[in-house]
Amino acid sequence: MWLRHRGQRAGTPQFRYERFGGIVALHRPRGLAYVDRDYARGLGYAASPLWDTPELLGGSLLGSAPLSAPTEVHLVLSKRCAAGCTGCYVDATPDGAAFSEADAKTALDRLAALGVFHVALGGGEAVDLPYLISVARHARAVGITPNLTTSGLSVDDTFAREAAGVFGQVNVSLDGVREDYLASRGFDGFAPALRGLQRLRAHSPHVGINCVVSRSNADRLAPLVALAKRLRLSEVEFLRFKPAGRGVSDFADRDLTPAQAERIYPRALWFALRYRMRIKLDCSFAPMIFAHDPPRAVVDFFGVQGCVGGDVLASVMPDGQWKGCSFGGPDEGRIGDGSDADRWKKGFGAFRNFVTQAPEPCRSCNYLHLCKGGCRVVAQARGDWWQPDPGCPRVQAHAAKQPPTHVSLPIV
Amino acid sequence: MNALPPKRFRRGRILRVAPGYNPNSSSLGVDVSFLLFGTIAVTAVTLVAGAAMRLWRRGEKT
Repeated sequence: MWLRHRGQRAGTPQFRYERFGGIVALHRPRGLAYVDRDYARGLGYAASPLWDTPELLGGSLLGSAPLSAPTEVHLVLSKRCAAGCTGCYVDATPDGAAFSEADAKTALDRLAALGVFHVALGGGEAVDLPYLISVARHARAVGITPNLTTSGLSVDDTFAREAAGVFGQVNVSLDGVREDYLASRGFDGFAPALRGLQRLRAHSPHVGINCVVSRSNADRLAPLVALAKRLRLSEVEFLRFKPAGRGVSDFADRDLTPAQAERIYPRALWFALRYRMRIKLDCSFAPMIFAHDPPRAVVDFFGVQGCVGGDVLASVMPDGQWKGCSFGGPDEGRIGDGSDADRWKKGFGAFRNFVTQAPEPCRSCNYLHLCKGGCRVVAQARGDWWQPDPGCPRVQAHAAKQPPTHVSLPIV
Repeated sequence: MNALPPKRFRRGRILRVAPGYNPNSSSLGVDVSFLLFGTIAVTAVTLVAGAAMRLWRRGEKT
């Protein structure tokens, strides 16, 4: 059961009850604040039936059970894109499946009823959909903040102006500067993507870069952050290359080397310091962060987590299917078929059950409840959904210590 | 005889703050910039988020 206080004006914070207390969605400053029951009472919220569970002595219930609804949903509006990137996660094609405008708006209504705060609209190339701005405005109208990832290739001045008025944050996918873009995406789209980025930035300060980090560009990220600084962008987010869509076939060649994986977190910190920019790492990089033993209380406070599929995050695909993560996992039923709240409560076990059955070295890792074994999609690509993320430096060190499973007998 | 003072409520805690919005439509990004400053960042963000929430609630009630 959930209850929600919805703001009356655009930009007014919202509150959603949770077992541990509640979540406040702030718009200035931007973010989500998770508060305990006493803090929520102090803000004037009456007790909720969700608070009937006794609180833990000296601790909170945060993390003890999945949230009452995802805070964010990835609404994959289409699998339609003409760019033809070699590693496209959704295997987008020029005539791929897409939500109709009406269905997208109905899906947003369902998500709003569930209590979702943010949606990330993407695809495919969502900007090519004629109804994108209309759908984003509908999200605002039902109390959800829409955000967008785009290739930037189709962004003209009219779109940039309209986007500034409706999206919370827009990031352009840019995997490197000039030849690094070509090497990563398989076509020379740097110049038009940069033009799109500049157009968006001309109308809004809330514009950033998404950069997929693979073996070829992992050691050449500084020029991209310098570019973001020069354009006065708000953030750069680094995303681990994942074995999904067209990325499955060459994952082995594009996955980071162990040395690159170990360096990504200190390098991100260095970029934040050197360029005084907001630097983000995506959830699949969590094992690489935790391998450096950051203070647990600090990473917990800032919500640094590994696989958050089926908890903080969920996806709705162009055919209306719920998934724990847009990269993989089982279908969880179509949005609107029956009760989405029930589906959320009872489903998503493929994402939620790792912690209880985690093998070593995850079982004895201090960060298990945050990391949750790293990226399930990478684990699946390497043979087993339920194994620890094979890209984790701790997992690799653990594997190196194990005796070989095959013993060679001497030939007599 | 004086009445007992009203039972004081515990002030409660801000348990977590996830700063910013996440535009990425395939995974969830976390801002590692704050991790540079450790507990100082936790204190500062707690104060700012707490002030923002209380200001908003005060504004809403008036």
